[in-house]
Amino acid sequence: MSSLANVIDASAPTPAVPSLAAWLRRWLPQRSLIGFALPAAILLLWQLAAWRGWVDKVFLPEPVSVLEAFWKMLTTQDLAVDFLASIRIVSQGFLYGAAAAVGLGILAGLSQRFEQFLSPTFDTIRHIPGIAWLPLIVLWLGLGAPAKVLVIAKSVFFPVFLNTLQGIRNVDKSYIELSRVMTLTRWQLVRKIILPAAMPNIMVSLRYAAGLAWALVVVAEGLSGLEGLGFLIFRAQGLLLTDQLLVCMVIIGGVGFLIDRGMYLLQRRVLRWKQGYEG
Amino acid sequence: MAEPGRLEVQAVSKSYALAGRPRLDVLSGASFTVEPGSFVSLVGPSGCGKSTLLRLIVGLDTEYQGNILLHGERIAGTSLSRGIVFQEHRLLPWLTLEQNIALGLANSGWSAEHQARTVREHIALVGLQGFERSYPHELSGGMAQRGAIARGLVSQPEILLLDEPLGALDALTRVRLQEELQRIWRVEGVTMILVTHDVDEAIFLSDKVIVMNAKPGRIVREIDIDLPAPRDRVSPEFARLKREILASMGEQPQEAGALAPA
Repeated sequence: MSSLANVIDASAPTPAVPSLAAWLRRWLPQRSLIGFALPAAILLLWQLAAWRGWVDKVFLPEPVSVLEAFWKMLTTQDLAVDFLASIRIVSQGFLYGAAAAVGLGILAGLSQRFEQFLSPTFDTIRHIPGIAWLPLIVLWLGLGAPAKVLVIAKSVFFPVFLNTLQGIRNVDKSYIELSRVMTLTRWQLVRKIILPAAMPNIMVSLRYAAGLAWALVVVAEGLSGLEGLGFLIFRAQGLLLTDQLLVCMVIIGGVGFLIDRGMYLLQRRVLRWKQGYEG
Repeated sequence: MAEPGRLEVQAVSKSYALAGRPRLDVLSGASFTVEPGSFVSLVGPSGCGKSTLLRLIVGLDTEYQGNILLHGERIAGTSLSRGIVFQEHRLLPWLTLEQNIALGLANSGWSAEHQARTVREHIALVGLQGFERSYPHELSGGMAQRGAIARGLVSQPEILLLDEPLGALDALTRVRLQEELQRIWRVEGVTMILVTHDVDEAIFLSDKVIVMNAKPGRIVREIDIDLPAPRDRVSPEFARLKREILASMGEQPQEAGALAPA
């Protein structure tokens, strides 16, 4: 038996060139730092492209000038005002849409008749994208914030509604039986069993909808806005201020990242009881 | 604790009519009595209707012919005076152990302080002190099932029904929990009705074993277990009772060295 093991050991070739994984493991020992490797590499490449003049400065200004533009926008051009305008719109749109979706989702989940009542209407409206609604809603409500809030709320509503409904439909029947044995009232059943059981679905859809809402606010502002980050982007495009354009994009990406991370942490907190496949 | 009543099952029958198939007689004329404070087992092969009978007694199912009487009144629906422990522990994953057990008191109307005290007592009863704040996924199978037993007993029911509660556990845990169950029964004095396919378990735990058979689901025999406590699983009397029960179930155990009967 030992001689066979020796043969197998001897025949395994020692790699002459270390694998990428081994290289990464050596230079980035901490697992959490590995996420910084790619952005750092991109930044380096970008700076290099600007120095060497590979790309015209109009198309891709160097990182330093982007930072300068950021400072200029922040101090002299009320970047904070536009930023807060976007944040306010996305928060309102998300909150209204999500609250309505979870509320109606629960009602539809508890009553098949209510679900059937809503279903054909919802399934039709759902397929018209929020952006297609924007012109009509702007016609009704004007170019200001309410129109954008409504469009965002509508786009947030449907994924969250569907997931809430599905989450409730997925509740294990054995838990329903348990509630009957415990003689729980309908309200107790909803609060203690149905809602928590549906929570994973609801949380995931909220996280998705939050990202969606943020992306939408930029488009909505770009199409029909007078303020906000989306408006700034299109203005920068019109004036060929690529550095300002990049500032807005970086901010949008950064906020989107923070929103997603924030929702993820919220999800982890709410669902801390859940034991799933950790990978 | 409510004065435990006498459970009377009188000529209970239940059948299902499925489209295109002959009528399925799940239960046919089942009758027996359970004295208050006793431990009764229902034993039988698959399809004999023992689980159905249990569900009828706990009130999850209300359609049947015949009568099931507790304190002389016909049972109608579920009640906190009849608890049940299922084969899966069915502890809610989003609640801690003590919250899960407290769920059994959600509709009791007791004060918060009384509820907390009772929950604590029952956690001690099943030997899970220290795990009050644990979530179900942090507990082993045996521990979770003990939690389910605590939940079944926390509302101090007159009858605790157990539907193959130890079936999902490994053999060693099962033996340990059987002894736990017996201890809990002696301490609480609650009537226990156990459904199991494990004849050893039935003889070890019960005062009376009700043997059932399938096609149609019916009661074949009632056997009083008059073994002294503590019960010796390998005594000749134990083996004799086991042979009797298996024979009633229609399973003929092999005599050592003999050929199988035709």
